Amino acid sequence: MENEFYTDEFEQLLKEKADQFRMYPSKRVWHSIYNNLHPSRRWPSMVMLLLLISSLSVIGYLNTGDSALNTPINSYAASQPSNQINNTTQTINTENQTTTKLKTQPQQPVSSLDNVFTDMSADKSDLYTYTVVESNRPDKKSLPNAVTEEKNIPEIKNEEENGKDLVQSMNTYIKTNKIFADVAVSHKKDKTEAVRPTDKTTAAEELNRSKDDLKIAATNKTEKLKPISSDKTDLTKLTAEDKKAIVKLNALENKKALTNEEKAWIESYALENKNEKDKWKKRLSYQVYVTPAVNYRKLTTKVKGSATAFANADINAAISQKPGFGIEAGAGITYDFAKNAQLKAGLQFNYTNYNIEASETVHPVLTSIVLNDPNTGYSYAASRTSTTSNVYNAGVINPVTLHNRTYQVSLPVGLAYKLSSEKNVEWYVGASAQPTYVFGGNAHLISADLKSYISDPSSIRTWNLNLGFETYMNFKLGDYHLQVGPQVRYQVYSTYRRDVALIEKPYAVGLKFGLTKGF
Amino acid sequence: MTEELMLNGCLRNNATAQEALYNRFSPRMLGVCYRFAKNREDAEDMLQDGFIKVFTQIHQYRNEGALEGWIRRIVVHTCINILKKNKKFSDSVDISNAHGIHVREEMIPSIMQAKQVVECIRSLPLGYKTVLNLYAIEGYSHKEIAFLLDIEESTSRSQYTRAKSMLEEILVRKKIIQKPKKKKSYLGAVSPD
Repeated sequence: MENEFYTDEFEQLLKEKADQFRMYPSKRVWHSIYNNLHPSRRWPSMVMLLLLISSLSVIGYLNTGDSALNTPINSYAASQPSNQINNTTQTINTENQTTTKLKTQPQQPVSSLDNVFTDMSADKSDLYTYTVVESNRPDKKSLPNAVTEEKNIPEIKNEEENGKDLVQSMNTYIKTNKIFADVAVSHKKDKTEAVRPTDKTTAAEELNRSKDDLKIAATNKTEKLKPISSDKTDLTKLTAEDKKAIVKLNALENKKALTNEEKAWIESYALENKNEKDKWKKRLSYQVYVTPAVNYRKLTTKVKGSATAFANADINAAISQKPGFGIEAGAGITYDFAKNAQLKAGLQFNYTNYNIEASETVHPVLTSIVLNDPNTGYSYAASRTSTTSNVYNAGVINPVTLHNRTYQVSLPVGLAYKLSSEKNVEWYVGASAQPTYVFGGNAHLISADLKSYISDPSSIRTWNLNLGFETYMNFKLGDYHLQVGPQVRYQVYSTYRRDVALIEKPYAVGLKFGLTKGF
Repeated sequence: MTEELMLNGCLRNNATAQEALYNRFSPRMLGVCYRFAKNREDAEDMLQDGFIKVFTQIHQYRNEGALEGWIRRIVVHTCINILKKNKKFSDSVDISNAHGIHVREEMIPSIMQAKQVVECIRSLPLGYKTVLNLYAIEGYSHKEIAFLLDIEESTSRSQYTRAKSMLEEILVRKKIIQKPKKKKSYLGAVSPD
């Protein structure tokens, strides 16, 4: 009987303290709720994004210069008098320029409660997680036989006392914990009972609706929460109670054999009550990703004073080429510098590949390549040898696929912006600049007469710059985030050195898979 | 803004009324979620889901009790559903690696009792704290808890007994409550001042 009595008291203590406990959610929560309840404004941006992706895919497909996709046999070279088959095909290159704009996410209304603690700290970001509790009420602590009373007793305290308690307790807690700020406040429970209208709407209620809306708007404007007193109390002094707590925890720390509960306690606080350094760290996360991609390219020429076939032909149509598969893989670090924005940096390995259909010659052939004089800018033909000819059709003896490959290391630096989030899914768009070092590969350049390919790895430019554009969905999987989404990577400068008259601008369209985890 | 105005606005999907209702009840509801959740982020996710349900089901609210109680019940159910969905009930509390944790001054718990009590509850193993939260704080019966958590009623009772015992030890050791002697009340809690 006596045990039951104490048990009930214990339960009441738990209930009382738990009911006093309050925490203020971050703005993200309301924004997510708002987006979920009012999704109509999000759809246009989603549609625009899908349009953008579709447009990029179409542009990529049409601008490959890959007549071979539809006409596998390129007969430009064969149509020359000295070649075997006279079979001309026409390649139509279409250049679509589609401009799409991403509609920005509408700004959400900001909760008026977010400004309540503005005057408590200069650094608002550090104190966005205020925890407000009620406490220090002697009358409550000494409540005897409280078990028989009603639950959720309204608690009333005068405002002056509240203010003092609030400031004092908050200062104390700031001293001991820089993340949460617990303050002792009392509150008046709103006794107003909601009177809900009946389900059947009457004409009078219809009229009252507009009045209610006006009242809501008016009340929202006029209803302001009182800011908490900006007491300038010295925060550096610790109370005797604080010192006791420090000594106690230090003793706990030095204790060799901790009990399970003590370990659980320490672990809990280590996880939940991170200090400023840990909080900064919390914004960081690391990521590994891989992007299988299809590599396309666009060829142009830069010639001056040359009368070669190379100078006068449609170079994309002159070569039987096919997109190749490439891959990008890397690791990086992301830093959430704002609620919806991330800064990204990392190290990435790129493998690019583009295929050319050709045929091997029986013996090396003397040919030439068009180069530009760096001083005068005039083009000239430089002698080279070749073992592959620009002829690929069913009749050739030794068909061969040439691979224009590069191996690259790049340092992508970029930004990602969160367009929306819902439950465990977030939607991002991002862009990055990728200074790139090309450390290997092979290049097969078309000859001045367009009849041969010259293998010349030394013509590859060592340093380049790539731009990446991506959009992805971020799925929360426990402690990890899985990123999946399309990515486009465009190379700013030609693959080849500046003196090579052939200009190649490759781009890759791929699907990125990334795994992110916080530190 | 009165509850009546908020309710009428919410029934018409008025964003201002919804925000007002959210602002009024979210601090307390986040406190509820925090007791069930692993960390603050999870608690906010629970709160988000809970309030979405509140706003989408607000038409089901009959004026038969306090609005806060109705919201609280939805939030608690949401927390339980999320915990069940994540299958975290099977997780065991592994503190074998806790030796490496360095206690710094910043980790020192608040002297505020409510926060301390809540943190002590949260330090319990998941099954214990869930049953304790539901029974002792939310006022659910063991039968209701058994139904909610898909466990036996007897399991709920035994989990609660163990949870209470473990929590009591922690609270006494932390000097948040005094060790109950005969005829001594728990409510003579150690004052933080």
